[in-house]
Amino acid sequence: MSRWKRFLLFLSVMGPGIITANIDNDASGITTYSVAGARFGYSLLWTLIPTTVSLVVIQEMVARMGVVTGKGLSDLIRENYGVKAAFYMMLGLLIANFGNTVANMAGWAASMEILGLSKYVMVPVGAITIWLLVTKGSYRFVEKILLFACLIYFGYVVSGLMAKPDWHAVLKETLVPRIQWDSEYIVLSIGIIGTTITPWMQFYLQSSIAEKGIKKEDYKASRLDVVIGCFITDIISFFVIVTCGALLFPNGIRINEAAEAATALKPLAGDYAHMIFALCLANASILGAIIVPLATAYYICEAMGWEAGVNKSFKEAPQFMWIYALTIILSSLVVMIPGAHLVFLMVLSAVLNGLLLPFVLVFATLLINNKGLMGEYTNPKSYNYISWGTVVTVAVLTIFFVVATIFPLA
Amino acid sequence: MPLFGDLFLSEITKKPVFDPKGEIIGRMRDAIVVKGDPLPKVSGIVVERKKALLHIKWENINIFNKRILSAYCTADTADAYEMNDKDLLAVRDILDRQIVDANGVKVVRVNDIKIEGYEGDAVLVAVDVGMRGILRRLGIEHGSEEFLRLFKTSMPYNLISWNYIQHLKPKLKTITLTVPRQMVSDLHPADIADLISQMSREEGAHLFTDLDIETAADALSELQPEMQAQLINAMEPEKAADIIEEMSPDEAADVLSDLPTAKAKEILEHIEKEEAEDIQELLGHEEDTAGGLMTNEFIAYPPETTVAEAMERFKKDAVEIESAYYIYVTDGAEKLLGLVSLRELLLSDPSSKLSVIMETKAKTIHPDVDEMVAAEIISKYNLIALPVVDNEGVLLGIVSIDDIIDRLLPPSAKRNRRRL
Repeated sequence: MSRWKRFLLFLSVMGPGIITANIDNDASGITTYSVAGARFGYSLLWTLIPTTVSLVVIQEMVARMGVVTGKGLSDLIRENYGVKAAFYMMLGLLIANFGNTVANMAGWAASMEILGLSKYVMVPVGAITIWLLVTKGSYRFVEKILLFACLIYFGYVVSGLMAKPDWHAVLKETLVPRIQWDSEYIVLSIGIIGTTITPWMQFYLQSSIAEKGIKKEDYKASRLDVVIGCFITDIISFFVIVTCGALLFPNGIRINEAAEAATALKPLAGDYAHMIFALCLANASILGAIIVPLATAYYICEAMGWEAGVNKSFKEAPQFMWIYALTIILSSLVVMIPGAHLVFLMVLSAVLNGLLLPFVLVFATLLINNKGLMGEYTNPKSYNYISWGTVVTVAVLTIFFVVATIFPLA
Repeated sequence: MPLFGDLFLSEITKKPVFDPKGEIIGRMRDAIVVKGDPLPKVSGIVVERKKALLHIKWENINIFNKRILSAYCTADTADAYEMNDKDLLAVRDILDRQIVDANGVKVVRVNDIKIEGYEGDAVLVAVDVGMRGILRRLGIEHGSEEFLRLFKTSMPYNLISWNYIQHLKPKLKTITLTVPRQMVSDLHPADIADLISQMSREEGAHLFTDLDIETAADALSELQPEMQAQLINAMEPEKAADIIEEMSPDEAADVLSDLPTAKAKEILEHIEKEEAEDIQELLGHEEDTAGGLMTNEFIAYPPETTVAEAMERFKKDAVEIESAYYIYVTDGAEKLLGLVSLRELLLSDPSSKLSVIMETKAKTIHPDVDEMVAAEIISKYNLIALPVVDNEGVLLGIVSIDDIIDRLLPPSAKRNRRRL
């Protein structure tokens, strides 16, 4: 195949991997990276490398399953492990994704406040816009918006370069792991893994690849899409940490939210960095708020065998529409409660995601090694080591995280 | 008669199976289903004893109800069972799979299977696709019922009778779908096309190969080009040829032009000579020109034909033709002299000749002209079909308004459908 043909092939299958990876950097992700950079400077950068390796391996597995079986992950879990497994998995996903949506709405509210717009106006406006976009617009239109919005993330790269970090130190901290035995440090490193590898994105990626109907022969191109997506995700994470590490950390500014980072950047780096951070956060939040509730409603209905579709009425697809509507409405309301403990909710959602992830990964790894399903496309041994390694690491870290959250003494 | 009344499959799976002495043989793992008349029946059960699997034939089963499972044989006398792809297993192959519910074209799942005693057999009578099935599998059906009773409501059963369900290929493990096929062929071909494009490739291909040729041809023309090529490419050339033959020549040419050349040739060889020539002729035109869009199925009579004769002949000739709204009038060399609309034909005196009543200043188009120009002409002069003629004025084919609309506004199944 000529180089040109190969490039065209890549363009035709491109999309699912890159979009998934970008939406992965939603409000909770950006928050975690900002907080990590402000609190520990560059010293958490090294965690991005093992995280990227795990992310690539896991996303590649899920993408391969989508291509080979032509089905979503929730379908496969239901068909191979029955109602119980599927039901509890979906229940967990529903709760965790409700938390994710709250986090995204909170990110949206906070970034609007920075831009001088009241959250009591902008949250309802955002929720209504999402609703109209999804129920009245076509997926093609939404996909175009998503691909364009992915470009906005590069604002973080610009702000990272504008921060003029000490590249020598950045490089050293990225390549040489230096673990600090501090509970906050460990909680944040768990946060970085947890917000980068999330349960819902496994479902989202596999379904969008299955839906796109990518053929086995074109799988290599699809894999490239996934790998590029993973790298983009982590490059963005890298620059968020670098920006906050270069500007906030040396000045001893501690933050709890991504929006605080934007505010804190104003006196240090000027209006541009401030605006970039606020706009990027708004973008990341609204993207997450579009996709996460929709994806949740789809996978749950798919697994349980309920009718689904955004252009259906409440009567035609009651479960689908209620899950979707309630997730958006309730999360908007939660964010608008005056004095709501949003940071607590975000931590809670991170814990739930962390608890859910090992199960998702166990199912994914078992399914991909099922010869009956995957034929010659089962996992090579090295993949299984990394995948099981990630399962164990995430499980251990999550338990630690839960313990550290409940007993914050250490 | 081992089974009286009815039960749900989930109520007996994992239940202990006893031998005549009251010892536990093992736990019920699955039920082997075979074709019965009229409904499928259980031919035996698979019992799990520690790690080993045992096969207990239906004749050896003593009691089979939701409280007790017992057999005449013991663990030692039962045959060993090995999982294989030849048997259709209720839990492994049917439970949790997707069904296309023809009643509104929605995809539901098999939440449970209802089994009833009938003339000594355990017969699969229905699948449970409702909430009750899910709750039963979760073990909270009873609790939920009690809970709902507090609010003076109840849960409806949502069962689909097995009469409406047929397996596509029971022996294949990869098939995850049971489609109500009789109902599927009652569906409009456009809806079937819709279903096929929603399924996984494998399932879509199986559903497609099971359709009768006429339905398959109609459904195929509603699908997007890549999907068409994929389905036809995977078929035996003879079967593919039968389907292509059923399509109108212009649609057939569209499908063939998307196939690898060798495959297209192979299929053409299996098509009736006359039809194949028509298709080949169309394949010679560029896809986005009037020639690429036209069909060479039309009705043309000589000018001296009378209205009465034309009407008689039309009744015979139009049966085979997709769209016939005009009668074209051509001379011996097939040159287009004029046309007569059906309305004109019906309103004219039966004895008058076509040459008298025909419209001679008919708009025509050259086959190499861009399809958009054809669309503009059809729109401007409010035509139903536009004749395509070559430099000599020989009538080659017609571009109908249907073809134009399909090109301007792809049918629903052709739109790239994606759910998030």
